[in-house]
Amino acid sequence: MSNKEENRKQNCGSEQQRVGCALGGIYTALAINNVLPVLHSGPGCQLQSGTVLAKLNGGQNAYPYQETIIPCTDFSEADVIFGGSERFRKVIASSMKYYKTDLIVAVDGCTAEIVGDDIKEVAESFEGSDVPVIYATLPGFKGNNLYGHSQVLKAIIDQFLDGPVEKVEKQVNVWGIVPFYDATWQGTLVGIEKLLKDLGFKPNIIYGRNKGIEEVKKIPQAEWNLLLSPWLDLDIVKKLEKKYQTPFLHFDHVPSGPTETTKLIRAIAEFADLDKEFVEDYIRDGEEEYYYYISRQLASINEGINLPKTFSLIGSAAAAVSTVRFMVNDLGFVPKKVYIVENVPEKHEEAVRNALYDLELEDKDFELVFTDDGGLPAAELLQEETPGEVILGSTWDEVLARDLNATFFPISVPIGPGLIGRKSYFGYTGGVDFFVDFYTRLLEGGRTSI
Amino acid sequence: MAVNLNTPGCEIKERRLGSITGYFGTIGDMTRKGCEGCLKNKKRCFTTVSQCSHYEALGQLAAVDDAVIIDHAPVGCSAGQVCFNRIFNLNVSKMIGERGRNFRIMSTDIKESDTVFGGLAKLRKTIRKAYDRYHPSQIYVVTSCVSAIIGEDANSVVEEMQEELGIPIGFAASEGIKSKIWASGYDDYSHAVARTILKDSDERENIINYVGFSPLGKEYIEGFFERLGYKMNFLTARAKTEDYERASKAVASFGQCGAQSSYLCGALEKRFGVKYFQSHFPYGGIGFERFFREVGEYLGKQDEVEEIIREEREKYADRLERVREQLKGKKVFIALGATFAYEYTRIAGELGLGVIHTVAYHYDPRLDNITDERVAAAVDAIESGLENVSTSVNDSQQMETLLTMRNLEKPDVVISRVHETAPWSMKIGIPAVTGSASLNLVGYRALVEFGERIVEELKNKNFVTKLGKNFKSPFTEEYEQLKQLHFLQGGKEDVE
Repeated sequence: MSNKEENRKQNCGSEQQRVGCALGGIYTALAINNVLPVLHSGPGCQLQSGTVLAKLNGGQNAYPYQETIIPCTDFSEADVIFGGSERFRKVIASSMKYYKTDLIVAVDGCTAEIVGDDIKEVAESFEGSDVPVIYATLPGFKGNNLYGHSQVLKAIIDQFLDGPVEKVEKQVNVWGIVPFYDATWQGTLVGIEKLLKDLGFKPNIIYGRNKGIEEVKKIPQAEWNLLLSPWLDLDIVKKLEKKYQTPFLHFDHVPSGPTETTKLIRAIAEFADLDKEFVEDYIRDGEEEYYYYISRQLASINEGINLPKTFSLIGSAAAAVSTVRFMVNDLGFVPKKVYIVENVPEKHEEAVRNALYDLELEDKDFELVFTDDGGLPAAELLQEETPGEVILGSTWDEVLARDLNATFFPISVPIGPGLIGRKSYFGYTGGVDFFVDFYTRLLEGGRTSI
Repeated sequence: MAVNLNTPGCEIKERRLGSITGYFGTIGDMTRKGCEGCLKNKKRCFTTVSQCSHYEALGQLAAVDDAVIIDHAPVGCSAGQVCFNRIFNLNVSKMIGERGRNFRIMSTDIKESDTVFGGLAKLRKTIRKAYDRYHPSQIYVVTSCVSAIIGEDANSVVEEMQEELGIPIGFAASEGIKSKIWASGYDDYSHAVARTILKDSDERENIINYVGFSPLGKEYIEGFFERLGYKMNFLTARAKTEDYERASKAVASFGQCGAQSSYLCGALEKRFGVKYFQSHFPYGGIGFERFFREVGEYLGKQDEVEEIIREEREKYADRLERVREQLKGKKVFIALGATFAYEYTRIAGELGLGVIHTVAYHYDPRLDNITDERVAAAVDAIESGLENVSTSVNDSQQMETLLTMRNLEKPDVVISRVHETAPWSMKIGIPAVTGSASLNLVGYRALVEFGERIVEELKNKNFVTKLGKNFKSPFTEEYEQLKQLHFLQGGKEDVE
């Protein structure tokens, strides 16, 4: 490692956090209807991760278990001395009485882990109860919310799902989208569900509106798993392959716009051996729809507007790959620098790098930086001669964009307090929505040529 | 126990002030017991998530001038600060006409191995990195649950690094497990800045300190102080080091509330003799009159104060009359922080609203003033006839608030601010209005405007009514049927 690289990965002194701690993994449970996390952690732990993953990430809150009613032992000094396992057991028992719930995920944070409270024993003591209780240890000193996400899914697979079952023809599980963390998760999953249905599959998605424990139970019976991310959930689909012999198709991102959406559809068609003519018709229609809407806005974005051509991006690996592909392959932009700020495990860095440079662009001389320090991009880009005319990033980067006199467009967690609703940039129509939101920012930013 | 600036950390509210997070009864009973020193805290048998002092301390410290904060914690313990970066930093910067920049909070990123081998080397490294990146005039090191439990002596590193770098480095022992009251984080901030940047002075100037979250709404009250011949000094988010340094020259201080402001005001009083006014807040009409009369007497400006009061009273008399007429017979449910809960209880009474119940998130039976004046709620219990108003203290436990709300008479409107009382009351079909926690609540103007806001709220309840009809409760019948109003142990008052 060069000195500079060493400096970027010095594993302390990170600022402007764009991830929550492992405890943020509870948001994966909260995205599954009627799955209730019960916490053995400090009183403020949920708020810390919830703020970055939900509230300041599209103005999201959990539903039906809106955050303030999540049971928690509110670990305190006395628990350090006397241990908190018994109090945790009582809070879980009360939760069963007070909440309509299908599954309880008992989790703990740093403090309970350090003092050695045994939450496995606590969870197992509820064996045979009406509501099943599983557990996941989520101390923040072990990893970020993506580690927590993985821990929660593994707990569900290991402790809740039964052994191998009969496969259901055409059923496909969808992975790689981390709920809440990806602010557009709900809209994106609705879009993916529709695409898979259009292609003749029975999509099985466990997160979001009307998705709950029944969908979770169906995970083992899928014919195959669809993974849409550069590295996230790769451990999950591999685990499912091992436990249930379910093969998976790994497409390295959630596609936006015609180029990548078409690639995904063709990849699925090849993997599942779909009728070629049907698929190409579907693609033609989707691409036509995209270009119809784009064509209806072309005049106004080319009327005396000083359009930018370059950008830098600061974000999660998933957001970076999806956005860079669309910006380059469809919108014709030139990347200057890309910062991945989610602590990608070293063994996955190569995959992310490959995904990010797989572009329809001759000169791929832009730099990719892996760092956990959210303050690094500003520290470096403010010194660059050509830092990019557009900054794609999180709400932390608005100030940087202002200081660079660049246009800011939010694409990664935490995207800010603006409400997300059902927005998604997935697919052909998602590409239109990205195009619309992005150029609206540019036009409202007053980039006139006079 | 009082403010003690000689120790690295400060005493928590529970021990220093006898503060509590669990109570159910009446304002009269609670404040009386509080004054007599026999108010006992009650523990809960069931709890939900809340907040921690660490979260608050970081948010306050990071808004001090050009300070860089070192969070000696796992990386997630500062993740939530993206919210305060917006509220206390970017928004306040805009208010005071500054360009603004992001919070500078660096985490030492304590990992599992550090919990075994210690993280002080990382702490040193992070402090150096912070200095190299920003060259700030001051740094604050904030400790966390993890660094405390593994027994790190962070303060020794603070002293060592202060010598190495030659700039003031403050220390805030703000681990979330230390206090049940998240507002203790405001004390940690106050203690740290008081020890780091407050400055001795022999001079007195005609300055009044205001300690609060932000200077929002300052123009209005500044005008009154100007008429008395005083300038205000704002020790709020985005205050400069000079503002803190100037604070010791002031003749008096007051705060936005007891929870946030008491410790810093108390420190100024104890160390520099700056009078701390805390028995009355200038909120609403009654509060405005009592506060300014108390201040006027201290400053020898009684006549000017009487004139201001007369003017303000007259200016809003007609509108107030109209509002009272329109709100006649309406009843409210209040859920707010320790001070504002009871300020709004009095304000509701001033508007002619009935108060069904007031939830305070915690209660301080006394504050950090060195004199023996009572806290505002205790004064109000007597002077404003709030003795018999039903109240509870509940650590912002929304399950409890909900239970209390549903078991008592249904209110026409709920008054709250944050901590999600509003969304929960709206879900069950009850309109909610937001209270202010700033100088925007000062005087008759605010009283009338708040009343008018409620009048408008009640004119169209379609949103909440229809929301309420579509509410699907996440709770079981067993919970819905609970008769007890709270989860306090040994305090199961049932509703008849």
